[in-house]
Amino acid sequence: MANIAAQRIRREFKEVIKSEEVAKCAIKVELLNDSYTELKGEITGPPDTAYEGGTFVLEIKVPETYPFNPPKVRFITKIWHPNISSVTGAICLDILKDQWAAAMTLRTVLLSLQALLSAAEPDDPQDAVVAKQFKENIEMFQMTARHWTNVYAGGPHVNKECDDKIKRLVDMGVEEHQARVALSSYNWDIERATEQLFS
Amino acid sequence: MLQFLSFSRKTLSNNLSIYIKTNTGNTLSVDLDPTWDIKEVKEFVAPQLGLKPGEVKIIFAGKELGDNISISECDLGQQSTLHAIKITKKPNPPTLNNAVIEESDEGKPLCETLSDLSFSNDDSEEGPTEQRKVHFFVYCPTCKALKNGKLRVRCHFCKSGAFTVHSDPQNWNDVLQSKQITGLCENNPELCANVLNNKEPTFAEFYFKCSEHTSLGETDEAVPLYLIRPNLKEVPCLACADINETVFVFPCKEGHVTCLDCFRQYCTTRLRERQFWQHPEFGYTLACPAGCPDSFIQEIHHFRLLSESQYTQYQRFATEEYVLRSGGVLCPQPGCGMGILADPECTKITCINGCGYVFCRLCLQGFHIGECEAPEGDVGAPGDCSYNVDPTRAAEARWDEASKVAIKVLTKPCPKCRTPTERDGYKRLGNGWKSLNEDERKKYFDRAKAIGLQHKKEFPVGENPTGLQKITIDSFELFPSTEIFSKRRKIYSL
Ligand SMILES: [Zn+2]
Ligand SMILES: [Zn+2]
Ligand SMILES: [Zn+2]
Ligand SMILES: [Zn+2]
Ligand SMILES: [Zn+2]
Ligand SMILES: [Zn+2]
Ligand SMILES: [Zn+2]
Repeated sequence: MANIAAQRIRREFKEVIKSEEVAKCAIKVELLNDSYTELKGEITGPPDTAYEGGTFVLEIKVPETYPFNPPKVRFITKIWHPNISSVTGAICLDILKDQWAAAMTLRTVLLSLQALLSAAEPDDPQDAVVAKQFKENIEMFQMTARHWTNVYAGGPHVNKECDDKIKRLVDMGVEEHQARVALSSYNWDIERATEQLFS
Repeated sequence: MLQFLSFSRKTLSNNLSIYIKTNTGNTLSVDLDPTWDIKEVKEFVAPQLGLKPGEVKIIFAGKELGDNISISECDLGQQSTLHAIKITKKPNPPTLNNAVIEESDEGKPLCETLSDLSFSNDDSEEGPTEQRKVHFFVYCPTCKALKNGKLRVRCHFCKSGAFTVHSDPQNWNDVLQSKQITGLCENNPELCANVLNNKEPTFAEFYFKCSEHTSLGETDEAVPLYLIRPNLKEVPCLACADINETVFVFPCKEGHVTCLDCFRQYCTTRLRERQFWQHPEFGYTLACPAGCPDSFIQEIHHFRLLSESQYTQYQRFATEEYVLRSGGVLCPQPGCGMGILADPECTKITCINGCGYVFCRLCLQGFHIGECEAPEGDVGAPGDCSYNVDPTRAAEARWDEASKVAIKVLTKPCPKCRTPTERDGYKRLGNGWKSLNEDERKKYFDRAKAIGLQHKKEFPVGENPTGLQKITIDSFELFPSTEIFSKRRKIYSL
């Protein structure tokens, strides 16, 4: 890795550690190797959103050309959000793409991702299925996102109804996550989900 | 005797070999002791001109030097030129008119009166903590590197260095833009003052020389890299956060700063991804890495900070972009990348001097009749939010050995750094015509029309098998307007 990138990440790492957001436990960064090319990020779900109470883990890869190119970031924790792929965790956020500027830092990235959780942009989707649900049935979306937060990110809101439907599919021999994806995608209509899974 | 010898050797080694030009057209070659003051220079020079010391004034870099200034203060350098001018009128008696006598700088050379602070483009309220002598960086075409530079002044009209400025330049704008500072041409005052029937004052023209090699004469100029500056305010680098002595200051409102290493890294990164911009006026360039608006680097010689091989690549990419912007097409055949200029209406393109591929101008697929299959502006699948440095774009635009010939055809040596660059070709059609007056503009377009007609004769409509024109300087003149660039840009949606 180019010296510049490593040096810069080293400084940024210190910046995040000292930041008040870390003090408030809102964001966190951990180093995964000595060469500063791979880091683990963590953000908490913003209050008053479906993600409240959840902790979301991020994979951060720093390219050799950092900070002139953005870090590559994706969600490790599974999440139900129009701008984040429910399959790969890939993120659609302008500052991680063409709106990146060399003056931005890991801290700005994490805070922007947190902001993205409170303000989705369904017109610029990463996950078309989620975006469609967000636009057509916001309550259904909220419930699904809260359920995913509970299951994958340690959120507090247990949804008995969802858990039951998943259990019924699991009993039929479907893998649990697959069952959850199918149900989430068909607005928790168990018949349509079953149809899709066995077609 | 021994003593004398060693003494003279010592003086010899320290001597400055200087040219003295007079306004009668004579040039004297003299050796001066740098510890001398100007009074001693006059005493030395005047007799050789048949004058008395009191009848001569010495002009250098836009200033008449005062008697008590020493040569070493003037950043002269070997083989520099001083101007000795015969005083025609009686020197004005010191007047006590409204002008104040604050002129403590009177008679000092330009390098002593300019300060770095005023050239840092920094209008923060903090007062000057210490006045530092101004420091210029240049790209020297002789040393082929970033070097320390010296500011010089000459007459805007007759280019004579026997010229005194009425006031010092206060900032970069005064130096870089023409007609900012007025002065007096001592070479031929009558002529230069009357050039425009006295409608305009006589203006100073500023230029730069390299401080690090012996001057090769008055045409031995260097290109000012004015965005490279001493880091007086100790601003940390935007990218690595180090505080460096010399920095690159981007031309944005915030004046973002990177160290030179990070600037190089920034250029390399963008170059590798072909993410430079073809700016209609400045050429192939970059903006502030913090993403600031209106922050394009105007003087593209700043990219001379790149290594030789990177700069070659930069020039190649720039030329390719240039072909596209001037209404040309790059052959889409892998490994070919021939630049082709064709009639704007013609969609059937044949790679005539390259691989011979026949393709559709609009979709860059093999030539076909009827609508293109994949219409332009084809958005990816829903949910596909992909950021692209279009990988095909880079692959699609490669010049092979043969096309290097084309680069040579369309470029001629840059007047500033004497190497072929994309910009020269660009200038030929760029925005230059906009600055022409009505008459000249008509002539320019008439000529363009004539060339166009000639091409039409050679390739009458319907008979032209290819619709092609070879890339020649002449055919570039057919596309004088930047409007065409923007239309093309849409088509190739770069
Ligand atoms: Zn030089
Ligand atoms: Zn003149
Ligand atoms: Zn730096
Ligand atoms: Zn900026
Ligand atoms: Zn070809
Ligand atoms: Zn086509
Ligand atoms: Zn040049």
